[in-house]
Amino acid sequence: MHTLNINNLSKQFDGVWAVKNLSLKLNKGEIFVLLGPNGAGKTTTLKLIAGLLHPDTGEISLNGIDLKKEPIKYKSLIGYVPDEPFIYNKLTGREFINFVAGIFGVRKDLYEKRCDELVKRFEIGSWIDEPAETYSHGMKQKIIMCQLLIHEPELILIDEPLVGLDPKMGKIVRETFREQAERGKTLLISTHTLSFAQQIGDRVGLMNKGELRFVGTIEELARVAGKTDIEEIYLKLTEGI
Amino acid sequence: MKIHLSLLSIRLRYLFKYFTPKEHKLPRVTFLVILSGFLVGGYYLFLRIFNYLQTVEIIGPAIMARTIEMILFVFFIMLLFSNVISSFSTFYNNQELHFLFSLPVLPTAIYLVKFIENAIYASWATLALVIPLIIAYGVSNKAVFIFYPVTFFAFLIFLTIPASISSIIIFIFVRLFPRLKPRNIIFIAICFIFLLILLYIKIGNPELLRILETENERELLMFAANLTTVGGIYVPSTWLGNIFKNFVSPDFYGLIYLLLIILTSLSLIMLSYIIAEAIYHKSFLLVAEQGGKEEKRRSPLMKFQKNPFYTFLWKDIILFVREPVQWVQLAIFIVLLIVYIFSLRRTPIYFGFSLWRVIVSFANFAYVSFVIATLGVRFIFPAISLERKGIWFVHSSPFGLHRMIMTKYIFYTTFCVIMIECLLLMANIFIKTEPIIFSFSLVVGLITAIALVSINLGLGCIFPQFNEDNPSKIASGSGGIISALVSIAYIGLTIIIFSGPVHNFLVHHYFKRQINLNFIIISFILYGILSFAGIYLPLRFGIRAMEMRDY
Repeated sequence: MHTLNINNLSKQFDGVWAVKNLSLKLNKGEIFVLLGPNGAGKTTTLKLIAGLLHPDTGEISLNGIDLKKEPIKYKSLIGYVPDEPFIYNKLTGREFINFVAGIFGVRKDLYEKRCDELVKRFEIGSWIDEPAETYSHGMKQKIIMCQLLIHEPELILIDEPLVGLDPKMGKIVRETFREQAERGKTLLISTHTLSFAQQIGDRVGLMNKGELRFVGTIEELARVAGKTDIEEIYLKLTEGI
Repeated sequence: MKIHLSLLSIRLRYLFKYFTPKEHKLPRVTFLVILSGFLVGGYYLFLRIFNYLQTVEIIGPAIMARTIEMILFVFFIMLLFSNVISSFSTFYNNQELHFLFSLPVLPTAIYLVKFIENAIYASWATLALVIPLIIAYGVSNKAVFIFYPVTFFAFLIFLTIPASISSIIIFIFVRLFPRLKPRNIIFIAICFIFLLILLYIKIGNPELLRILETENERELLMFAANLTTVGGIYVPSTWLGNIFKNFVSPDFYGLIYLLLIILTSLSLIMLSYIIAEAIYHKSFLLVAEQGGKEEKRRSPLMKFQKNPFYTFLWKDIILFVREPVQWVQLAIFIVLLIVYIFSLRRTPIYFGFSLWRVIVSFANFAYVSFVIATLGVRFIFPAISLERKGIWFVHSSPFGLHRMIMTKYIFYTTFCVIMIECLLLMANIFIKTEPIIFSFSLVVGLITAIALVSINLGLGCIFPQFNEDNPSKIASGSGGIISALVSIAYIGLTIIIFSGPVHNFLVHHYFKRQINLNFIIISFILYGILSFAGIYLPLRFGIRAMEMRDY
């Protein structure tokens, strides 16, 4: 069953196509990784799906709920992390997570259970009660992961999830994403980290100049490129397109 | 020197972009037209006042000189406060500084660039007010051509004096109290300047604080004209006032005052440079280290909040309370307002006549409305921009932009309504206003507060600056100026509409002339239309602009 349905999505900026005629269907419990060079349109695609940009054409629906017709209902089902994660500097990490839970209307008992679980999982220390202006990039990323999962979204949209995380945290994030998928959540991840895409992606999409040039598994991608190493596949395909 | 210039040119280019932002696509021509309208309007207002004073025999010119000194003295004090408030964030609490201090440049080069930046940000709005003042003064006094460039130049030099004093105070306070938090340092610096001014006036110029017990208008004007100076002879605003006076037809004294102001400015810049050379870098490192030693904080958001509305509201309140630039300025505003209201109580002699009481009550309503408009531009207009990149979260959450705007609207309206009603209530009690005018001012005050919040919040949605984190800078941008002008226009129209019915009431009440009911009804209908436009349209267009925007 398809969770996310994107049909003929297009967006132009000053006459240049950022996303052109993009159609994509994601299944429940699937991890889909978007690959592509800088300026390929990956971030624009995620922002369009998150409802942060107005598409010029096309429709987006999640579990049959149309973004344009029922934006509030649609947005209550998604969790989005942009490429530059933001936390209000004067709030503490805990206050920010509470703020997100409150905005998404999470029930108190569920919130308390999830919050404890996430703090343990991402190895967040007592610094959670210090203001975010004192955090490093990695600490902010951990808080961002907690706020993302606190309301258990049906569709998780993440732009560059590994930036600022050490290898251990990268592994925890990967395992968390896999667990989420096993629990039936759909994940759409944009990244430049090819090994991460190879390890976690059920399917990958290769974007360039706003167009989705290839959709398939890593194995299918390797067949098309005639290479086995993910880096070589990527270079060959992005040079070729 | 080359490094100084290249750093400076980058900042100037940034400043140019700041004043003509592309973010909200406001055409530069529109901005220039609005600014020109403001300058021309200001010019005609000052010209009218000065031309009137020219007609007052003997004491007119003296009153004019005192008025100029009074305006410049107020500017000087306001510039001191605004420079102190902005200098901490410019010199210490700024992301860009970490990059600048990592460059192979001397701390003094960074200091000079930041000094100029701080002076421009804190003073440019004053400059916009002074240009029409200089021209109107010159035209009214038939000044020679040299008057205009010299007074303008002298004013630019004058602006550097409060900027230097503020940076010296902040450097010394940060060095003396390295463990204090930014909010406490700004608060102590503000209190220090406030005490210094009060002490100076009390010792150097006590007649400024004296209340004249007279009912006679001419006696009052004589008193004002005979005040030796408004600020006292040691204050740069007095020297600048003398430059105004003595350059109408240039004389030796004018030149002396010009030299005095240039030398004082240079001396203070040199002094602040020497202090910066000695302690700026060290104190910057101390403040940066302090950043990691924040104590644990307690707040309502530490606990789970069930209702999204309260969650968002608490977030806004916490961010406001934890941002010293915000609450220190609000505290100053409130203190000044309390002083103003109690000063009404200290001048009871004028309020013996009930006619005066009505007029003063009406004037008080106008003044309080202007103060709320100023508060609106400074605190409500930047409210949307201060969401900064957090706007992606709000927009991609089920809370949505519409509810975010309405939450802010309810919060600021409640605050402004309480504030305006308390001020009007206290003032009217002190003045002992007629009950009908009393109730009337409370009702119109309520509607005015609601409209001013709508205007400032709505225009804040139309002209957001999500890349700027300093609320003072957001308020002094082109969108802030438009918001200020629209607010002033709304209050001005309200006063014009109601001046007729109030006049009608006065002549009916005191001279027993017949009341013109049709005229009063038409005035209320016009006010209804104005208020509907003031309350509904800015919010409507603001919400629409936010929802149509790409993030």
